[in-house]
Amino acid sequence: MIEFKNLSLTYPNGTKGLKNINIKINEGEFVVIVGLSGAGKSTFIRSINRLVTPTEGELVVDGENILNHNGKSLRELRKKVGMIFQSYNLVKRSTVLKNVISGRLGYTGTLKSIFNMFPKEDMELAYENLKRVNIEEKLYNRADELSGGQQQRVSIARVLTQKPKVILADEPVASLDPPTSHQVMKYLKQINQEDNITTIVNLHFIDMAMEYADRIIGMRAGEVVYDGPASEVTEQTFEEIYGRAIREEDMRGGEENE
Amino acid sequence: MSNRIPPKPKSPAKVVKRIIIAIAVIALYVWTITSVNIDWGKIFSQRTIDNFDRIIPKFFDPAFGETGEILIKMVETIFIAYTGSLAAAIIAIPLAFLCATNMVRNKFLNTIGMWILGAVRAFPEIILAIIFVAAVGPNPFAGVLAIAIGSTGMLGKLYSEVIEGIDMHIIEAMEASGANKLQILFYGIMPQVLPEFLSYAIYRFEIDVRASSVLGIVGAGGIGTLIHFAYSNRNWDEVGMILLVIIVTVTIIDQISSFIRRRLV
Repeated sequence: MIEFKNLSLTYPNGTKGLKNINIKINEGEFVVIVGLSGAGKSTFIRSINRLVTPTEGELVVDGENILNHNGKSLRELRKKVGMIFQSYNLVKRSTVLKNVISGRLGYTGTLKSIFNMFPKEDMELAYENLKRVNIEEKLYNRADELSGGQQQRVSIARVLTQKPKVILADEPVASLDPPTSHQVMKYLKQINQEDNITTIVNLHFIDMAMEYADRIIGMRAGEVVYDGPASEVTEQTFEEIYGRAIREEDMRGGEENE
Repeated sequence: MSNRIPPKPKSPAKVVKRIIIAIAVIALYVWTITSVNIDWGKIFSQRTIDNFDRIIPKFFDPAFGETGEILIKMVETIFIAYTGSLAAAIIAIPLAFLCATNMVRNKFLNTIGMWILGAVRAFPEIILAIIFVAAVGPNPFAGVLAIAIGSTGMLGKLYSEVIEGIDMHIIEAMEASGANKLQILFYGIMPQVLPEFLSYAIYRFEIDVRASSVLGIVGAGGIGTLIHFAYSNRNWDEVGMILLVIIVTVTIIDQISSFIRRRLV
């Protein structure tokens, strides 16, 4: 469970990233955060694994207030909270397998990992996860030989290999075309349901948010302006969140045809 | 009415500034050329032509009889360059990380690293060779040390630029998965920088072969020793042979190195 208690974040230049957030996210939920760019979605998500540090309030993840974590305790937190990025962030010159196994680094001793001595189970887990996202045949390819959608699937496999309790995804489909976007979201949804991993996704596409989310949180100017089940959300709600009429660019469209 | 581009605004201050700069540059040239005392008469005198006549033809009639000894010394030269650049390629790595502003987030330490590399770069190899010959005696080891120290300055600078150009998002992704600093170094940073490091190290080896050819003149081993002896005895045909061997070797090494470097990056 993740709980934001009166959480605020002020950047050193005085910009308010988050303003007094109070939210509870339950285990196994699939939450989509929507909002225009600059609304604080990224700051919200990055607070949970402390890539940014909120300045006031409390943030409880898995029963602990994480705001004072540092060094070892911070790495322990990050082992539990996996993350997927818009630009995939794979090491392009390394193989797919090496990228995926790097999800185990937090669990592996420094010396062992430097000499590439991962336990057999970990290697099998990495391969298993590549199979789950249907990219196992690219095992020994270099990451830069893969298309964007394939790279994002590899990064999902990497995050799964980390065996997280929570997956954060920061605009995971913003660099992809519509069919590939749906494919990636389907994998995320499937993993969320099968493994009961709490999943928090930043999106700015209205149609995708409504299709995949259990719950939608709307943000504007660092504040939560909407919080409710996806089933109750209408286009009207989005117009309120965005503070303007819905435009074509807010839709991803192009349902995957299989 | 018309679509003409508006005229560029003219400012008298700018024109005056340009004239002053032009005068300063011309004055500098006049000053330097007059103070080095170029004796045009001497350049085209009969004596110069006679001297060239004596030396140049000997260059084109190299002493092939000396090939064996020259080749042995050429190989020694390559070994000096290889050992020296290998040592530099390794010493430069920690210094490069110290200088890279995205790795060591401390302006003071960055500046210290830059100063070390800058100071090292300021010494020509031949001066370093003189110092090391004095320190460890007239042998190839002095040459190796001179090459190693001389190359560290350049490699460290180039390496640190490579490090500053890496994709930091990958580092962020690894931090976000709970990897520690050393693991990030080996899994996130090294794969990104190693091919470029290697490419620069090979390029530097190429330069070092040329540089180490002359180190022998001050006693630091290699083919320069032979140049020194041959030149002292006015054996121009032997100097010609040595030059021929150097030119051929350097050309071959340049070709091999650029071939390898093309495939690396």
